[in-house]
Amino acid sequence: MSASLFPNAQQLSAVLPLLLPSMAACLLPIAALDKDQSTQKWIRGAMFFIALAAAIGGFFYVTSLWKSGHQPFYGPLRMDRLGQFAAIFVLLTATITILQLWDHLHQEGWVKGETLSLLLMSATGMILFASTTHLLLLFVALELLSVPLYALTATVRTRMEAAEGGMKYFLTGAVASSCFLMGSVLLYGATGTLDFRTMTALSADPIALLGGALLLMGFLFKVSAVPFHQWTPDAYEGAPHPISGFMSVATKGVALIALLRVFPGALSVIPGLAILGTKARLAMAFLALLTMIGGNLTALVQTNVKRMLAYSSISHAGYLLLAFVADTQQAYVGLLYYLVAYMAMNMGAFGLLTAFGLVGDKTTFANLRGLGWKRPGLSIAATLCLLGLAGLPPTAGFFGKYMIFKELIGTGHIGLAVVGVLASLASVYYYLRVPVALFLEKPSESQERDRAEQPDAGAPFAGATVLVCGALVLVAGLLQTLFVDGFAARVVRDWTELGR
Amino acid sequence: MTAWINTHLLSFLVFAPILWGLLLMLLPERQAPLVKLLALLGATGVFTVALMHLLRATPDASGILVREWSPWFTAVGLPVDYHLAVDGLNIWLILLTAFLTPLTLLGTWNSLERKAGAAMGLFLVLEGSMLGALVAQDLLLFYVFWEAMLLPMFFLIGLWGGQDRKYAATKFMLFTLAGSLIWLVALLYIATKAGGFSPELMAQAAQGLPFRTQFTLLLAFTLAFAIKVPLFPLHTWLPDAHTEAPTMGSVILAGVLLKLGPYGLLRFALPIFPAAFIVLAKPIAILSVIAIIYGALVAMVQWDIKKLVAYSSVSHMGFVMLGICSMTTLGTQGAMLQMLNHGISTGALFLLVGMIYDRTHTRMIADFGGVATKMPVFSAIFLIITLSSIGLPLTNGFVGEFLILNGAFTSHFAWGRVLAGISTLGILLSAVYMLWMFKRVFWGPANPDGESGTAHISGDLNAREVAVMLPLLVLVFWMGLHPQTFLGHSQPAVEQLLSDAQAPGQRPTVLAAPEPRVSEERR
Repeated sequence: MSASLFPNAQQLSAVLPLLLPSMAACLLPIAALDKDQSTQKWIRGAMFFIALAAAIGGFFYVTSLWKSGHQPFYGPLRMDRLGQFAAIFVLLTATITILQLWDHLHQEGWVKGETLSLLLMSATGMILFASTTHLLLLFVALELLSVPLYALTATVRTRMEAAEGGMKYFLTGAVASSCFLMGSVLLYGATGTLDFRTMTALSADPIALLGGALLLMGFLFKVSAVPFHQWTPDAYEGAPHPISGFMSVATKGVALIALLRVFPGALSVIPGLAILGTKARLAMAFLALLTMIGGNLTALVQTNVKRMLAYSSISHAGYLLLAFVADTQQAYVGLLYYLVAYMAMNMGAFGLLTAFGLVGDKTTFANLRGLGWKRPGLSIAATLCLLGLAGLPPTAGFFGKYMIFKELIGTGHIGLAVVGVLASLASVYYYLRVPVALFLEKPSESQERDRAEQPDAGAPFAGATVLVCGALVLVAGLLQTLFVDGFAARVVRDWTELGR
Repeated sequence: MTAWINTHLLSFLVFAPILWGLLLMLLPERQAPLVKLLALLGATGVFTVALMHLLRATPDASGILVREWSPWFTAVGLPVDYHLAVDGLNIWLILLTAFLTPLTLLGTWNSLERKAGAAMGLFLVLEGSMLGALVAQDLLLFYVFWEAMLLPMFFLIGLWGGQDRKYAATKFMLFTLAGSLIWLVALLYIATKAGGFSPELMAQAAQGLPFRTQFTLLLAFTLAFAIKVPLFPLHTWLPDAHTEAPTMGSVILAGVLLKLGPYGLLRFALPIFPAAFIVLAKPIAILSVIAIIYGALVAMVQWDIKKLVAYSSVSHMGFVMLGICSMTTLGTQGAMLQMLNHGISTGALFLLVGMIYDRTHTRMIADFGGVATKMPVFSAIFLIITLSSIGLPLTNGFVGEFLILNGAFTSHFAWGRVLAGISTLGILLSAVYMLWMFKRVFWGPANPDGESGTAHISGDLNAREVAVMLPLLVLVFWMGLHPQTFLGHSQPAVEQLLSDAQAPGQRPTVLAAPEPRVSEERR
């Protein structure tokens, strides 16, 4: 094989979705070096523009790739439908995050270049993570997506909670990474190969089993499933709101997509791992049960909206893992559809806090009181997002849950489905607390006074993203055929065709 | 437009109020008078269209008056249809909904002090989603509308309600959701067995299941519907919701929302699981009788007029459930009529309570007394509605309760006669609590304490309020004197339903799936 030093056009098109955000990530810190006060405003604008251009450019590039039907690859990097889906998902989330960051960082008074650079770096790692089955590359991608996130969590480093959250995230994340690495080593030892695709004829070797379990732990840590969730509330509480949203959506999403590639089940490309299938499904069922119950019950007693959303994101990990328990192609279609819906719902929910300019310790339910009447359109859109998270029809959240639960029941896991719906009944209560606070409760007198003194948060970009998210939650629910047949079902179909 | 309405009548009935309501909610608050007018016009328009088209429609071979049927989505396997239809079972409930909405809007014209426009917009959204649930023939579509009804009601109670509105709204939401989420699991289970969400397919699939499974599934179905009715002992959300809700919320809650419970039982639970339903009907009948007596007894000791009417709803809805569980044509027909009766009488009572509350800002019975001297017209109307609620002959209440008791008496159950006998006591008790309340509020001297509600009454009903009550009074007597108008449509439907249930083997074959949507749209 005469491997040329430079990639050819086809290989380049596989790398370009990674190249665009990573190049912008390298460019941004240089722009941030300029300390001149007079040009600062322009520099800031330019930084956000570059970051946005990279994310949106990448998004459009991958969309065109999707439309053309090409599924390029470059060595172990496979920009197939699943990879493209992940790239679209991550870059869209990143775009919304950057828009919200503009408002949030100005509210915090902490507009620095490295924030955007780290964000794009992490996005690059996420795309890579979801588009390879090579263990070494997976590990590199895992670190590339995690390390910037540790730093991003603590980005507003003057705040105690930020430092605390970042530290906790880093320490637990390091344990998860080492589990992942150890699992990879054991799998390599048992099979003699680093690429999942070439792992054949795996017996029920205890070493391979242990390796698989350790690897799974690494994934589940990123998904924030119980009992690997301990970092989640602290990290989300400490991080800037848009970054919390980005972590909850993109990290969870790509971890699940990457898991989809290697999970020994209906979509598996690795015949050798089939022997682990039943064990893996059993483990998933157990963890999903724990996650749904644990996440939802803990969310009930939160007083801070961000912590509530953190536990809500844990409970959603539980619902999403149910797709792996059902383990049918249609369940995975449901999973991918739900990820899109989840992106809109969660970014909208976190965007609400940014749009109202609630920073620091002001993210409690009490601080939301009566705000709904100030900006009704925005609040209604955010309410839609939260009702979607609660799974009420006709939002996209309902149809996502519907697709997953239907397959779960179809494969005979009725007990799990009953626990799932009861857990989501509990969730309705805590999601409703937000619209209740927004519309039904009156602000206290001191709050009224504070609000009168403070200037309006403004936050035009964050407000716009919330509106878009709310509309998407409704549209994806009413026109679910478009999203399912157009995106999710095609991914799964092409993936199974290609994989075989 | 008219041509479109002719072919898409049901879509129009469902989505016109929803879209119109959403549009009105966007208008600024200072335009409230205009918004109110537009809301009233919209609601009246919907009622006119429904009345004109539905009553003129002629039934086809299977008793369907109007139908719209096209595939909705088949995402991930199961086909879900956009299947709307009106037949003998739901035509009058649809008309009742469309009828009560403009009346309620007019009746609560000045009741809301703030954001009246938004409330009326929300009310129209509620109307549309209720109509959607009433016409939906596909179970997933029904489920979507069934859940969609909760939100506007939640906000109506939560935003415009009384002191404990937050508690009442959340309780309403969680209670109803608890039932429907468990129902959803059962629904998905039977749908995966049947390969679709149409009741016919499900009924076929259910026959192939073991009886225990059928019974468990039916229990899950019934739980969702019974919470909505609400059946004793699942009724505790209702008094809270009614007491805290604004007048318009109470009227539509009692008038239509509760009816979806029995309607769901008749439309879906009974045809899908006939064998299991016959078994389950007995315990439900006993619970209904408990609800009749218990609701009446609790109503008797209430201090708050609205809460009294709320508990009387529990009692009256018990009659409806008893009629359905008798599994006789008479009883079921009586239940159909009683649903309408309850919608008219209790809706009217809530409107009347709202009218006096607007004047005095109290609903405590003890605050009143001697209202009849200050408001003679109001008192006369209130008395007529009271008597209709008790079930005096010549009024609507009598016919419904008579048919139900007759049905229960002639049913196959060994206990049927005993149950019918005990229920008769419920009618007696209803006379006690209603007339006693009437005596304390309207007759005798005014409350001697300074805080008396009667003292605040400035005048009798105005022309608007009389105009609201007149159609209701006409209906009270119309339904009492010539119930055939309202029973004629449902007679064949109910007979068909019951004969199918008793002989599930000879069910007609499943209707053919509709042609793809193209032909629908080209027309």
